[in-house]
Amino acid sequence: MSNVLLSIRGLSKNFGGLAAVQSVDMDLQEGIVTALAGPNGAGKTTIFNLITGNLVASSGAVTLNGKSIIGMKPHRIAHRGIARSFQDLRLFTHMSVRDNVLVALEPKSWFWQPGGKAAWKKRLEDVDRALETTGLSKLAEKRAVDLSYAETKFLSLARILATGSKIWLLDEPASGLDLNSRTRFVNILRQATAQGVTICLIEHNLDVMTQLADRIAFLDQGKKLAEDVPANILRDPELIAIYFGKSQSGH
Amino acid sequence: MINYILNLLTLATIYGIAASSLNVLVGYAGIFSITHAIFFGIGAYAGAQFALLVVPDIFLASMIGAVTSGVLSLLLALPALRVRGEYFVAAGLGLQMVGMTIFSEAHTLTGGHGGLVGIPAATLAGFDVSTPGLFLVICLVALIISLVVIRLLMRSSFGRALMSIRDNESAAESFGKNVPVLKTLAMAVGCAIAGVAGTLFAFNLAFVNVESFTLEQSILMLAMVVIGGVGTLSGPLIGAIFLLLLPAVLTFVPFIPPTEIGTVQQFIYGSLMAVLMIFKPSGIAGKTGDK
Repeated sequence: MSNVLLSIRGLSKNFGGLAAVQSVDMDLQEGIVTALAGPNGAGKTTIFNLITGNLVASSGAVTLNGKSIIGMKPHRIAHRGIARSFQDLRLFTHMSVRDNVLVALEPKSWFWQPGGKAAWKKRLEDVDRALETTGLSKLAEKRAVDLSYAETKFLSLARILATGSKIWLLDEPASGLDLNSRTRFVNILRQATAQGVTICLIEHNLDVMTQLADRIAFLDQGKKLAEDVPANILRDPELIAIYFGKSQSGH
Repeated sequence: MINYILNLLTLATIYGIAASSLNVLVGYAGIFSITHAIFFGIGAYAGAQFALLVVPDIFLASMIGAVTSGVLSLLLALPALRVRGEYFVAAGLGLQMVGMTIFSEAHTLTGGHGGLVGIPAATLAGFDVSTPGLFLVICLVALIISLVVIRLLMRSSFGRALMSIRDNESAAESFGKNVPVLKTLAMAVGCAIAGVAGTLFAFNLAFVNVESFTLEQSILMLAMVVIGGVGTLSGPLIGAIFLLLLPAVLTFVPFIPPTEIGTVQQFIYGSLMAVLMIFKPSGIAGKTGDK
């Protein structure tokens, strides 16, 4: 078994009377892609928000490399090597493509950066590499607001790529992409996992899920119903029925 | 006549500094402040008191104005920065009222409603710089330094982090930006520069009172930024020049009776704001196509 980087135990989140996440246990293993699957409202994005500190858990534990990150502010969790994307992308719309990536990888936000000119040069090289990998080099000076839909998706990925984070939480990263773009996208993610990046993915597209995921954790109404390799999850008629919105009685 | 023009240019320069400092908050950090006249005022009172009690050296007084305004902005703004959106605007209104009350009632510090009078003529390293021409040069130098400082800051990682917060706070946080700290720093930087403008304003009039720091003044500064172009270096300057020189220009239009200049001015301001917001919401100097 691979090394467990991030471990979730008994994680719960209640919004008033609504239990959005209920006692979820999960491990993210180094270099492994885990997909969170389930119908809308299953609690997938809420789990991301709990891991990244955007929401405070009602109970449970989240540990990164054995150390608790529960209660930490999102920016501190980001500094510990967890990067995330958002379903609605949340790009820095009025900044250039290059600055979107540069600001994501700058370790400090002061008037100067550590490491002097050599570190600055290295950061610019990292930005160029991220833009090249995602096919955005020619658009570097364009503002994010002026990009096409597919380009914004790749920019969202370029920001994460450049951070050098070891854990990526991707919320529907390839949704709405045409087949060619989707293939390119999947290839970039495969390259990343080959280099040891650990990915947790929320994805509704079954093709993307099966192409990428090593494991699928299936959720419904805040509970984890199953976790297994994709073939086993996708063969389970009960889970498939829930996923496609049919009642469990088969209607 | 020449002194009148020099004085107008001096005022436009001072308000240019103030509007540029507000642009750090509104244009770069996304902090919609309607309290800036208070920090402009703190700088004016602090610089004036320094000139009255210690020495009327314009450089030293400006530094005192900057530090006082910058530090007090931290104390006053920290509670307000905890809230977002329309709640921050409401908190800003409250802050403006608190500031006005302090300016009116803290007689020892501000002279109350009567204000601080008899501010001595400005000097620089012992030389008199209070003549209109020289004073304008001093103000222009202060403006250039302010713009250079703002440009350097905004091109640094600090500036990029601020702009990322402006565009999306939660995404900025998820990339490791400490949003409250960065917003607080932006507030301190913007208010410190406003403090310099306030000190220059006090020296220019040789008198300060609460009437110069009202909500209307805060809104005027905001209008300078919005009309000129939010988040651009030249925008606030264009806005300041336009809004301050318009009344003067109108006085030379022969068919407008002097008693109606105020009405015509209001009509032009209002129409221009409406037309700009519809057709070019990014302001005169803003990028075309920004909505």
